[in-house]
Amino acid sequence: MTKIGLEIHCQLTKLESKLFCSCKANYREFKPNHNICPICMGLPGSLPRLNQKAVESATSIAMALSCETPEKIAFFRKNYFYPDLPKNFQITQLNVYGDMSVGGEGHVDVEGKKIKIRRIQLEEDPGRLIYEGESERTKITLVDYNRAGTPLVEIVTDPDFENPRQVRVFLNILSDLLENLGVTEPGLEGAIRADGNVSIEGGNKVEIKNIGSFHDLEKALHFEITRQQSLSERDIEISQETRHWDDKRKITVSSRSKEEDQDYRYFLENDIPWVKIPQETRDCLKKDLPESISSKKERFVAKFNIAPQVADILASDKYYSNLFENAHSDSDAKDIANLITTDLMGFVDTKEKREESKLTSQHLSDLVAAINDKTLTRTSSKTALQEIVKSGKSVKGLLTEMDLDQVSDSSEIEGIIMQVFEEEKQAVIDAKENPETVNYLVGKVMQKTKGKADPTKTLELIKLKLN
Amino acid sequence: MNLKTSIIDYINDVKSGSFTVEEFTSATIQRIKDVDDDVHAYLSLNESAIDDAKIIDKKITAGEKVGACYGFPISIKDNICITGTKTTCASKILENFVAPYTATVVNKLQNEDVVITGKTNLDEFAMGLTTEFSAYGPTKNPWNLKYVPGGSSGGSAASVAANECLASLGSDTGGSVRNPASFCSLVGLKPTYGLISRYGLISYANSIEQIGPMTKTVKDCGFLLNIIAGQDNNDDTTIDNKQSDYLKNIEGGIEGKRIGIIKEMTADGLSPEVSTATKDAIQDFEKLGGICEEVSLPTIPYTVAAYYTITSTEAGSNLARYDNIRYGYDLDSEGYEYNSYISKSRTRFGPEVTRRIILGGFVPSAGHAGKYFLKALKVKSKLISEVNNAFEKFDFLISPTAPVQPFQFGEKIDDPITLMLLDYNTVTANLTGKPAISVPYRVVNGLPIGMQIMGNSLKEESLLQAAYALESKTELPEVPL
Amino acid sequence: MVDEEEIIRVAKLMKIDLEDHVEHVSRVKKMLEYFDILDQIDLSSEEITSQEKTLSELRKDEFLPNDKKLIEVLKNFREHYVRAPKMN
Repeated sequence: MTKIGLEIHCQLTKLESKLFCSCKANYREFKPNHNICPICMGLPGSLPRLNQKAVESATSIAMALSCETPEKIAFFRKNYFYPDLPKNFQITQLNVYGDMSVGGEGHVDVEGKKIKIRRIQLEEDPGRLIYEGESERTKITLVDYNRAGTPLVEIVTDPDFENPRQVRVFLNILSDLLENLGVTEPGLEGAIRADGNVSIEGGNKVEIKNIGSFHDLEKALHFEITRQQSLSERDIEISQETRHWDDKRKITVSSRSKEEDQDYRYFLENDIPWVKIPQETRDCLKKDLPESISSKKERFVAKFNIAPQVADILASDKYYSNLFENAHSDSDAKDIANLITTDLMGFVDTKEKREESKLTSQHLSDLVAAINDKTLTRTSSKTALQEIVKSGKSVKGLLTEMDLDQVSDSSEIEGIIMQVFEEEKQAVIDAKENPETVNYLVGKVMQKTKGKADPTKTLELIKLKLN
Repeated sequence: MNLKTSIIDYINDVKSGSFTVEEFTSATIQRIKDVDDDVHAYLSLNESAIDDAKIIDKKITAGEKVGACYGFPISIKDNICITGTKTTCASKILENFVAPYTATVVNKLQNEDVVITGKTNLDEFAMGLTTEFSAYGPTKNPWNLKYVPGGSSGGSAASVAANECLASLGSDTGGSVRNPASFCSLVGLKPTYGLISRYGLISYANSIEQIGPMTKTVKDCGFLLNIIAGQDNNDDTTIDNKQSDYLKNIEGGIEGKRIGIIKEMTADGLSPEVSTATKDAIQDFEKLGGICEEVSLPTIPYTVAAYYTITSTEAGSNLARYDNIRYGYDLDSEGYEYNSYISKSRTRFGPEVTRRIILGGFVPSAGHAGKYFLKALKVKSKLISEVNNAFEKFDFLISPTAPVQPFQFGEKIDDPITLMLLDYNTVTANLTGKPAISVPYRVVNGLPIGMQIMGNSLKEESLLQAAYALESKTELPEVPL
Repeated sequence: MVDEEEIIRVAKLMKIDLEDHVEHVSRVKKMLEYFDILDQIDLSSEEITSQEKTLSELRKDEFLPNDKKLIEVLKNFREHYVRAPKMN
C-alpha cells in the first residue's frame, strides 16, 4: 500500500509587500539584491512587521481547504545556519502552545478520495543561492536576497495519496483553487513548489526535497516508489531519511545525515505579538471566498440537471466552468455542458492550446443554438469546433463557408439515399432482411453529405424506402 | 563652564543666554579629551558634534523653532544604531559594521535638536554586569578608577557620571541600566516593556529588553522619557502610552502610597553598607508619607536561573546572524568551506558571549528544553502573576538595586554564579515587563549605592514621582574625577 | 549531571569553535548545574502568554521601494551579489 504525502509551498505573489517588510513580494523583476531592506536582510537592530493582508490571504486559503482556523495565531523561530537565511533563523509557525498556525484539519476531494490537510502555516521564503563555475575548485556560491522574506503559505497533507496520478490531479485542483482565490499566480516560476514523502507497505517514510516542478515531483515519486519496492523485494529495510531529487540523473539521492542532526530549537518569535483574528473578521473572509469546486458542482447538478460526471469536469476546471457560465442560458445549459465535455475537450486539453484558442463562450451558445434548430448536426459541430478554436470565425460564417448546414430537406436527402441504394445494392438486400443493419446505409448517407444530413430524418426515409 | 549641571538647568541657561550650545559642547568635548583616556567610557566620538551645535545656535539666534533638547550633549550605548556610525556592540565581530539606518529613539532625539557626543562602551553584546567583557577594554568607574562602573551600560553610566555628557541612552535586559546607574550614582530607568521602541537596538534578549535613559536627576529622566517614549510603527511590540507627560506631576509626592519592601531582595546577600542604606531609605519613604510593609515574592530565588536560561536562548538565536557573510569584519571567504568560515568568524566573539551562545544552544534543544527552557518560561509566568498580585496591594515595590557596592576589576569575573547573582534584584522587572528605576541614594567609602523602585505596568508617571520624592531626601557628594 | 560531550556537540551546532577554549565547557557546565534550581519549584499550573494585537492593527500591505542602495554598504561581490563560502 503506497502512501504519499505532500508539503506544498505557495508564494503569495499577489501581495504588494513581503511578509515582514515593505519590499516587493514578487521579486522577479529586480536586479540581484535590489529588493532588500534592513528588515529582510536581518540587519542588527531590525524588527519584523507582520503584513496584515498576508494573514488574511493565508486564512482564506485555509478556509478554502475546509480547515479550522484559530482565534489567535503565533510565530516561531526555526533556528539553523544557511547562507540564504539572513538571520540564520526562519520565522515560521508551529502548533506547540495549542493550535496557533493559520489553519488545520482540512480536506480536499480528489476523484472521490478525501485528502486530509494537516495544517496550513505562514512563513518567510529564504533568499536564493546561485552556483557559478564549473570545477570543484572554481565554484563559487552567490546569494541573492531579493526573495528573502517573500510570504509563503505551507500546506501539509496527510499521507493520503495512493499513487502519483492522484498527486497530479490534486496539484491541478490546488493550483486552480489558489489562483481562483487571487492569492498567487501559479504560472510564475517557483510560485508553487512541492516536496513529498513516500512509504510503501507500512514501512518507513522517506522525504523527498529539492523538487523543481510538479512534473519533476511526479517523476520523483515514481522513482522513489520503484526504489522502495525493489529494496523491499530483496528484503532490505527502507531507512527513514530525507532524500533530494537529482534532476540531472533523474534519481533520488540520500541527503547528508546533517539533516538528522539538526536541532531547530523552536521558540516563540517575541518580536511579533500573537495576532487575534476576531470571529467577525473570519466570517467576513469566509463570506468573500469564491465558490468552492464542490459547491459549484452541486449547483450545476441541482440547478441545471447536469450529469454528475459532467458537472465534476466542469467544476474542477476553471477554464471550462468560465466558458460554461458565460455561454449558457437556462434552457441550453445541459447542451453546452455536454458540448464542452465531449467535443471541445480534445481541442483544448493543454495550457498552450488554451492560450492559442480563439474560442469564446458566444461560439458555444451559437453552436448549441444551431444544433437545436437543426441547421447543424452533432457530427458537423465537432468539425466546426476544431475550426473555431483555430480561427475564431463566427458560427454563422462557418455554416456557409464550410458547407456545414444540416441537410434536412427531405427531397435532398432522398436524392442522396437513391444514390446510396444504387451503390450499395447488397447492403440494401441485407437491410431488408435484417433491419438492424440499416445503420450502415445511414452511415453512407452521412458520409456522402459530409455529416450534414439530419440523421433522424435520414433513418426515417431509408426505412420508408426499404418497405 | 559648569559641566555638572542637569539637562533642565542647561536648557534654562541656553535659553537665557548664559552660554551658547557651541560653548557647552566644546567644553564637553574638552572634558572628554581630559578624562576619557582614564575612564574609557567612549568607543567612538561624533566628529561633527561642534558643527551640530553651531547649527542649533544659528536657529536660536535666528528666532527659529528649536527642538526641546536645545543641543544638550547625550551619549548613546554602542548597541544602538546611528546611520553612518560604527556600531560595534563592543565586539570584534562587528568591528567594521557601519549602521545604514538610525534607531527610532535617536531619530526622536535628533528631531528635538540633541547633540550626540559619541557611542559608549558596554559588555560585549550587552551580556555582562561590569563592562569587563568589552572587547575594547573595560570602562572605569569615575568614582574610583580601580572599580567597575557596573554593566552592561557601563560606558553610558561613566560618561554621565564623569560629566562627559549630560545624559545617556543605555539598554536594560536584566539590570544593565539600573545596575551601572547604581554603581555610578545616577538615575537609571528601565521602562515598561514596549514603552520605548527597540527599532535600532541590536537584540540580545528581545522579549524582555528595553532602552533606558540614564541621567543625573529624576526630572531629567522624565524629560527624556517625554521625547523617546511612545508607540512606534517600526516596532510591533511597542504600546500606546496615550501621550503621557512624565514631567507634569513629578513633584506630586508619595503621601499615602503603599510601598512593598521585597523580602527576598532585602535579606541575606546584601553587604552591610547596602543593608544599612536600605533601612534608611525605608525610613525616608515613610517620612515622605509612604506606608511601608514587607512583601514576599517566593518565586524570586528562581528568577536568576530562569533569566539566564531565557536570555541565553534568545541570544543564541539573535546572534546567529553574525556569520560575517553580509557584514562584520574583514575576512575573505576565499579558500574556506561554509562551516569552517563561520566558525572561524565566530571565534571573534569574546568569552562571555561564546559561553552564552553555547548555553543558548543547550537549554532549548530538543532533549533539554523540558528541563530548562520550558521551565524558565513557566517561572516567568508564575512571577508575573505573583507581581501582579503584589500590585493589587501596593503602589510600588522597593529594594536596593544591587546587593553590593562597586567592586574592583577582576574580583567577581571568575565565578559565573557570583556574577549572575549580581542581577538578583533587577531581573524581576525585566521578566515581568514592569518599569523599575534606580535612584542614587548614598555614597559610602567613595562608592555609590542606589535604591530601586518598581512600579506597575505603564505607571512611569507615578514611578517618577516616587523617585523624585526619594531623591529630594538625598545629599550626594560630587564625583571626585 | 551535565554531559561535557553534549556541551561540545551543542557548541558545534552553534558554530562555536572550542579548539583553544575548552575552559568554556566547564564554566558552561557550572552555569547549567546552577539552573537545576528550576527543578525545585512547582510549575504545574503555569501557562505561556504573550503580548497580543488584533489583525487590524498590523502593517498594511504596501510596497515601499528602497531608495538607498543597501547592497552597496554591505559586503558585496561584483556590486550585486553577496558571496558565501563554498557550500558542500
